[in-house]
Amino acid sequence: MSSIDDLAKKRLSVLSNTPVAASGAGPAGSARPNYWKSLAELEQSPEFLELAAREFAAPLDQEPPNSPARRRFMQIMGASMSLAGLDACRWREDKILPLSRRPEGTIPGSSRYFATAMELNGHAVGVFASSYDGRPIKIEGNPAHPDSLGAASAYHQASVLGLYDPDRSEGVSSGNGNARKASSWEAFRMALASSLSGLQGSGGAGLRVLSERSSSPTLAEQKRKLLAAYPGAKWVTFEPMAYDGPRAGSVLAFGKAYRTHYAFEAAQVIVTLDADVVHPTFPAGLANARALTRNRVPDSGSMNRVYAIESSVTLTGSLSDHRLAIRAGLFKAVTAYLDGLVSAKANALPELGAAQDMPGAEFLKDAKVAKFLGVAAADLLANIGRGVVVAGQHQPAEVHALVHRLNALLGNVGRTVFYTDDQNAEEQSDVAALKALTDEVSAGKVDTLLILGGNPVFTAPADIAFGDALAKVKTSVHLSLYEDETSLKCAWHLPAAHYLESWGDALSWNGTLSIVQPMIAPLYNGRSAIEVVALLAGASATNGLELVRAVHPELAADHAWRRALSKGVVEGSAAARVEPKLTALSKVSLAEAELGSLGAPNGKLELVFAVDPKLIDGRFANNAWLQELPESLTKLTWDNAVLISPRTAKELKISDADSVTVSVGNRQLTLLALIAPGHADGSLRITLGHGRMAAGHVGGLVSANVDPVGDNAYTLRTSSGYEVANGVSVQSHGTVSYRVASTQDIYTVGEIGQQGTQERLPELVREGTLEEYKAKPEFVAEVVEHNPLLSLWVPPVSYDGHKWGMSIDLNKCIGCSACVTACQAENNIPVVGKVNVAKGREMLWLRVDRYYRGEPEDAEVSFQPIPCQQCENAPCEQVCPVGATMHSHEGLNDMVYNRCIGTRYCSNNCPYKVRRFNYFNYNIDTIGITPYTPTDDPKAKVKAMVFNPEVTVRSRGVMEKCTFCVQRIQNTKIRAKNSKRTIEDGEIKTACQQTCPTGAIIFGDLNDGKAEVTALHGLPRSYALLGELNNKPRVQYLARIKNPNLALSPAQAPTTEQG
Amino acid sequence: MAISDVNPFEAPPAGDNMFARITDNVTRIAETATPPRAWYIAFGFAQLLLLMFLGSLGYVIWNGIGAWGNMMPVAWGFPIVNFVFWIGIGHAGTLISAVLFLFRQNWRTAINRFAEAMTIFAVVCAGIFPGMHIGRPWLPYYMFPIPNQMDMWPQFRSPLEWDVFAVSTYATVSILFWYMGMIPDFATFRDRATTTVRRVAYGIVAMGWRGSSRQWHVYERAYLILAALATPLVLSVHSVVSFDFATAQLPGWHTTIFPPYFVAGAIFGGFAMVVTLAVPARQFFGLKRIITIRHLELMNKVIMATGLIVGYAYGMEFFVAWYSGNKYEVFTFVNRAFGPYGWAYWTMISCNVLFPQLHWFPQVRRNPWATLIIGLIVNVGMWFERFVIICTSLSRDFLPSSWGYFVPTPVDLMTLGGSFGLFFTLFLLFCRYLPMVAMSEVKAFSPAGLAHGDH
Repeated sequence: MSSIDDLAKKRLSVLSNTPVAASGAGPAGSARPNYWKSLAELEQSPEFLELAAREFAAPLDQEPPNSPARRRFMQIMGASMSLAGLDACRWREDKILPLSRRPEGTIPGSSRYFATAMELNGHAVGVFASSYDGRPIKIEGNPAHPDSLGAASAYHQASVLGLYDPDRSEGVSSGNGNARKASSWEAFRMALASSLSGLQGSGGAGLRVLSERSSSPTLAEQKRKLLAAYPGAKWVTFEPMAYDGPRAGSVLAFGKAYRTHYAFEAAQVIVTLDADVVHPTFPAGLANARALTRNRVPDSGSMNRVYAIESSVTLTGSLSDHRLAIRAGLFKAVTAYLDGLVSAKANALPELGAAQDMPGAEFLKDAKVAKFLGVAAADLLANIGRGVVVAGQHQPAEVHALVHRLNALLGNVGRTVFYTDDQNAEEQSDVAALKALTDEVSAGKVDTLLILGGNPVFTAPADIAFGDALAKVKTSVHLSLYEDETSLKCAWHLPAAHYLESWGDALSWNGTLSIVQPMIAPLYNGRSAIEVVALLAGASATNGLELVRAVHPELAADHAWRRALSKGVVEGSAAARVEPKLTALSKVSLAEAELGSLGAPNGKLELVFAVDPKLIDGRFANNAWLQELPESLTKLTWDNAVLISPRTAKELKISDADSVTVSVGNRQLTLLALIAPGHADGSLRITLGHGRMAAGHVGGLVSANVDPVGDNAYTLRTSSGYEVANGVSVQSHGTVSYRVASTQDIYTVGEIGQQGTQERLPELVREGTLEEYKAKPEFVAEVVEHNPLLSLWVPPVSYDGHKWGMSIDLNKCIGCSACVTACQAENNIPVVGKVNVAKGREMLWLRVDRYYRGEPEDAEVSFQPIPCQQCENAPCEQVCPVGATMHSHEGLNDMVYNRCIGTRYCSNNCPYKVRRFNYFNYNIDTIGITPYTPTDDPKAKVKAMVFNPEVTVRSRGVMEKCTFCVQRIQNTKIRAKNSKRTIEDGEIKTACQQTCPTGAIIFGDLNDGKAEVTALHGLPRSYALLGELNNKPRVQYLARIKNPNLALSPAQAPTTEQG
Repeated sequence: MAISDVNPFEAPPAGDNMFARITDNVTRIAETATPPRAWYIAFGFAQLLLLMFLGSLGYVIWNGIGAWGNMMPVAWGFPIVNFVFWIGIGHAGTLISAVLFLFRQNWRTAINRFAEAMTIFAVVCAGIFPGMHIGRPWLPYYMFPIPNQMDMWPQFRSPLEWDVFAVSTYATVSILFWYMGMIPDFATFRDRATTTVRRVAYGIVAMGWRGSSRQWHVYERAYLILAALATPLVLSVHSVVSFDFATAQLPGWHTTIFPPYFVAGAIFGGFAMVVTLAVPARQFFGLKRIITIRHLELMNKVIMATGLIVGYAYGMEFFVAWYSGNKYEVFTFVNRAFGPYGWAYWTMISCNVLFPQLHWFPQVRRNPWATLIIGLIVNVGMWFERFVIICTSLSRDFLPSSWGYFVPTPVDLMTLGGSFGLFFTLFLLFCRYLPMVAMSEVKAFSPAGLAHGDH
């Protein structure tokens, strides 16, 4: 101790510049300092010296450890030791940026919605994008938009995940093949300028632009200006999605390209010819779904009748009253036959030309087919002006032309069928345009090629070697969200701005203008197509907003602009309806193959190429929500398959989940085959967009050893067999080597399973005909006989306030599964991957069950969405040992994640099996192992941006399930309470309900006598699924009521079959 | 220490009278310097399995329950099958000790000690599974009623909560019963100890036993009371375990026959495990004079009787399903026998109903090796019974859309196999260091003992 004192005094002496006498010397021995801080120092009083010494002494010197202080010392030491241990616990460090003043229009922690639009295949759907603290995290349909009417599809919902995809390219890159180096926009601009200077002399003879199909007026204006500035340049449009048949058919029928619009709400009889009119990929599909199901309400007696003639089971076919499976190649003959039938009866105006000859096709001799077509034609004739005939997009021009004629003959034009000019239509088909471009490139005529979006190297027909030809272009530029297959072949890759990051404009199918507005600044320095074209044109303004505003003088006034942005549509901008004059059609020529029998002539099949309902042409391949969304009919995830009819499969000795080789000419592809009940004999169907090699870490990235997901069907698609390839053979190699990631009916259920399903299905998915329902509305309730349902005790909850309930109309559900992805986006539902889906561990809170009825050869399909049924007498609540699932006073089965220890007993006791368990930490890359060990990976942080902050992100080992979107309920309750009012009916919409195109899901307060859900629960066709278990589910289903034509099928026996 | 090739227990027991011979026969197992080579081999093997068990559990704790094959709809897979299997094994001990004691079945004395040990080790194995199979295995204490600042309490309506109490009560009473029964024998070990370590160690556990008549009097009273306490537990534990299933709504689980059926099955499986252990034990430790062929035969008769009860229950389940007219019930049972898991069902039927019928032949039930083989078969069958009940019922419940097919992963098999490692490790340590046969009780009912008249 004394040594410390000495040390302190020495230090003091240094400080005071005064030599200090030896330790223990008294104050008298100290000299006075020259400079002093206080009088005490000057005087060098002993008190001062002692205090000064203590200042530098160890704290313990201040109090010598005598007896009581020693105890204190031990206390302090003990406390220090234990606190020192705490140092090992790390807290998350975050830097915050406090705003001293809240910027106008921002409310932290509150979602605000902005209108924008998402375009696909040349027509846009208007959406509302939420902005939560500046992040768009949820998409809803825009009710004012004609192609949305408030609905959004699965890929609209999933687009927010695509926005935050960490695999998106982060900057400009240049190079060749995989040897690419990072570059910059500035470097690109310089390179572009030098190559343009070379072009200017030749009038742009070597300049080509290859674009996706776009409706953007701004882009169209830029195109016009560019082509004016460079007369030698060409602008080519290529989109792998079918568009050519309708265009060419319209040219054939009217001499000009027109767009067809259908007023399904005014139609009584609808005949679809291989057309999935309610699918979101069909032009105005979401609006069609709303319109078509509006007239399928048996309670009010308004029921239209849908005849679906199709080569594969479509969503339209699933809701139809009558379905006929015919392979795609026979539709020319079918349409000619229908034309013959209708022309014979209808008072055809002479200018419509002569009727088609009745084709002597083999398949028309089939009594069933002939009867079906006869009845459908008769029904159309009985409903002149109240019918619709629609042809599928991939059908050839003749079919479309004949359908135009049929609609004219039946007086539908002007009543249920309308036309507008198709300003978007090109002169030639996309394939021909791409072929011409490739030829030019191969001939060395192109030295600057700008590819705006798309992925033509991946999507080009197999016989057009577009990718190989690209090497011959001096300056090839690809603007794309990802550094994909095309980017790797181009000299330049430019990062594209996501539609939620950029300004733009787009037209709906009927020409209604929407302004695309950004929700967030580009995450990766991307630019939109219009900005890049502006760069190419050397325009002074390359800002998207200025570019868009310059094109729309009608929106020049600020209030008009703001109104357009706020509403999401420019009112009155829809294209004017026209009444094109039908030209007399020549007789269609039918080839030998088009007159064959129903099955496969000589074992040669046809192969229909369809864009994937989830990945479209492959552009969404890196979107894990879409990859994991079960496909509507096969329930397949993370894969694609060739579909084959049960009879054809039997003939070719192919069984379900076989690995097969499909041969088209000398091109072969080996992939999974699934037997699709209801599929047309002799027809194969394969979806495009799978098998990406450079999609990203989700969809396949060969350079990072991520295998492609599914198999690439483009390798079989040639320009001659573009929509449908003929002469296809298929060879089985036995069951596939991997477990198929299907969420329903994984492998055959066996005879026992089929019988069991048959027995119970009429009770689970209750169905009847309109006649039955009118004659005896209570038949739905009488399907199940059970004893009176008695409870042992009085329910402990009285539901005095709200009593939430849901009604799901099976008559309206088309199985599109948009609700599933909407639920995933709203509720932070993790993705589990292919292996775990195959094991049955998918996490989707809402599933859409699919059941087949009837014989497998011509099965009918029923869909049944299953969310948590929120039972009042919930079996799950009863058995949880820790009280982690509790009953709320409003009747919700609440999950308390923090309390859940994961016994999984609740799932075992749930008769609906709607509970989902986190078998692994599926969010480990975004939330880390524990809350105290967060990840610093910037990519993970970008991924985490998509989370909805109002919903807990669940960790490993807890159970989760549908909550009826409790966060939406609470928000609305808070809003209503703040403004001292009651909650209005329909004010709370669950995520699934809000996005549903047909309005099949209705949520509300069952205590509200005027609520729609209360009325629906009161309908005689409303039933509780497994209600006989006395679980008292709060979800009730409205039985499916069909409107069959008695001439065709006197009440088909309700035999069921599990596929 | 060299391992002897010769079994040191082959020699006849030494001693000048019956009691001495019994004492010698039992104590030499614990007192010998080197146990037989078979013990070392078995112990080494058990250690390997135990290592695998711990490894597989560590893997599951680190990665998540998904390392096992559990999925939806089969959210309970192997872990709960194993739990019910081991709990079932843990029944024979208490039954032999308590129920047969109350019924004055004096032949039980030869086997009751290691049957009790087996019970406790089986309960130890069983107890691990419910704690480990939960999604967050660091939180099983949420199931205990511990007063806490969150004011959270377990949910007492859940049968899993009942399990917590039933199993922990059973484990407590079984351990007390087992330990108390060993006190006189510990004293014998202490008295014969030649080393200080043994003397002190056995001295402590003998709790000052001097064999005075007053001590014997108190001991006998306490033993009787504990037997009376344990007897209802034999019935209650597996009844409560069966409530996990019987109170659920799932077809195939929701049935009133479960409590008696589970208890009978547990006794059946428990006795099978006793004979499985007894036959090698008497062979390797030279206990053939104590655990005689008569004992094996009596146990085989119990196996046959309970096997018939179990067989009756299997049949009755089908009858009730058919008689109920409930299509879900009917389907579940038809699917159980002829569906995708039919192989498991028929394995169960042949192991549990057909093979035990061989015991109708006296040659079979008096043959130790036939007894061992049938005992093993019954153990396999009883494991499959739990698999059939749990996995088959869950795999196909009400809505066909949610049907699935459970496939175990290698980790599942490692955990199952590894649990035997824990069991055998504990059992082999018991054989080596604790009185494997209740010497005092055997003496009481030996001819020499009976000559002393009633106690």
